Amino acid sequence: MIVANNGPAEAAFEPLLQLEMEMGTFISEWQHCDHLSSYLARIISHNRTDPVRHSNFFSSALNELLEVSFRSGASSGQVVLAIFRHGPVEQIKITFPCAAEQIPFYREAVSKVDRSDARARYLDSISTDMAPSRDSILLDLAINFDASIRFEEGPSPAVTLVVDLPLEGLVS
Amino acid sequence: MSAAALSPSFKTAFDANSQVFSLAGVIRPRSIDEIADSITMLKHAIDDVRGVLYLDVKRLIQMNNTAFHAFVRVALDACRARSDLRVVIVTSSVVGWTTRMFGHLNEIEPQITVEVYDSTFYPGQSFLEDTSFIPILRTQTKMTWRHERSILQRHGLRPGIAMADVCCGIGDFAVLVQKEFQPARIVALDHSKASLAYAREVAANFGITDIEYTYGDASEMLLEDNQFDFVSCRHSLQIFNERELLLKELYRICKPGGRVYITNEKNSHCLGEPRAQSIQWTYNEVAKLFSHFDMDVELGPKSRRYLAEAGFDDILVESFMVTNLDGDPQDFADVITAWENVYAGEMAVRRGDPPEFIERFRQGFRDHIFAALHPKGYAGWPIWVASGRKPT
Repeated sequence: MIVANNGPAEAAFEPLLQLEMEMGTFISEWQHCDHLSSYLARIISHNRTDPVRHSNFFSSALNELLEVSFRSGASSGQVVLAIFRHGPVEQIKITFPCAAEQIPFYREAVSKVDRSDARARYLDSISTDMAPSRDSILLDLAINFDASIRFEEGPSPAVTLVVDLPLEGLVS
Repeated sequence: MSAAALSPSFKTAFDANSQVFSLAGVIRPRSIDEIADSITMLKHAIDDVRGVLYLDVKRLIQMNNTAFHAFVRVALDACRARSDLRVVIVTSSVVGWTTRMFGHLNEIEPQITVEVYDSTFYPGQSFLEDTSFIPILRTQTKMTWRHERSILQRHGLRPGIAMADVCCGIGDFAVLVQKEFQPARIVALDHSKASLAYAREVAANFGITDIEYTYGDASEMLLEDNQFDFVSCRHSLQIFNERELLLKELYRICKPGGRVYITNEKNSHCLGEPRAQSIQWTYNEVAKLFSHFDMDVELGPKSRRYLAEAGFDDILVESFMVTNLDGDPQDFADVITAWENVYAGEMAVRRGDPPEFIERFRQGFRDHIFAALHPKGYAGWPIWVASGRKPT
């Protein structure tokens, strides 16, 4: 099910890497989010115009998605992360298990990213929330990283977030 | 992958004298509790501040939304409670996302403003990054390469290693190293976007695609600890005012057992015959002129001390003299002409020197050129090379 689709055509993206990890292993250590985002960012950025800064930007965005997955509450199943590239855009596709009753909240959060009041809601979140909500993290990616985000739902209780990041243009 | 290599810890500090609260490193907590001490520290700092609090995030490499919300909330609450307080957030153009994220705060709270720290990182940067200087920089590298090509091996450069060239300028040294030594990886960093754009173009023209050119602050690089077997920093320590800070960074990114390689000048030892006295007078004045702008172009022979005090061992020091006899004497003359234009034509003018001084100052350069082009003349430009090993 696709809620929003602002990115380039899926078929144009070429795969860069894919990583699968048991949720139990993933959530055993919070630092996995930081380590994976830093390590993978460095790998996929090596042939960008400014690899170091691209990696820094990309790691920042990927870490937020990994943290969202980490906080999903699921302890079984797999987190599957795939990264694709099309021209100046990297696409992150992250799938993680999630309780069925939680799925509508993710769908709703993604749908809000493209609404006209997205910026106002992002500023309101910074202004009032003690801790970032799922909504504000997705808004952060859309507003600060120029990301296009869409939501996909599979047959099993899982969530897939597809995030297109045009970082090459931002960095260079 | 090692946690230590990928996740440098973060640092918070408050300088009460300058009212600067700084956040540096990687801050990715799971919950606010993990950064409670830092949050408390910021609250106390704000209590101490009168007028403006500077929140310095220019050395902040990563910060997740959990930390962002927590720190920002403190600043917002403080501004709401105190109409006398202003918060200036200092970001870096190198770490682009910080400027974007923190940049929204002014829309929420007008007492918070964001300044992008994109000024020069060393005092002479504006003089030396003029694009008209590029051809001369290339000529200089060509002249020094004749010597360094054989010297570099003695200081640890060899095929297959990982290397960083910090303050790479127009990147021509990295290209020459890539062609001659075939390291497995070269990262070339500079804080001039114009120089890097030129560097990428030169590399492309040579068909070289595996040099990682990156825009960065040499005194706080985004590069991880212990990554490189060989770290070069040529002709740059002498024009940094914060030399210890730069050396600390070179040390940090170098692998244990790897070497940091620096080259620097001692301008007062530039020489020539005939007209030696005039030449010597001018280059003594060059040293004083750079000193006026917080640069030390007499640093060359001090390299051993700097490396030792930065923690390196097995320090090697040698020097070589670039002369008019090395290649085409006109190359040497062209370099001196460029120096005259920048040092006498721009720097001395900026210092406010009187015309009669500038004219005498120029004469020494002209005499150096005269010596270089004289059929029986000799002109020299000495360079000190030093390297130290990071202890294992």
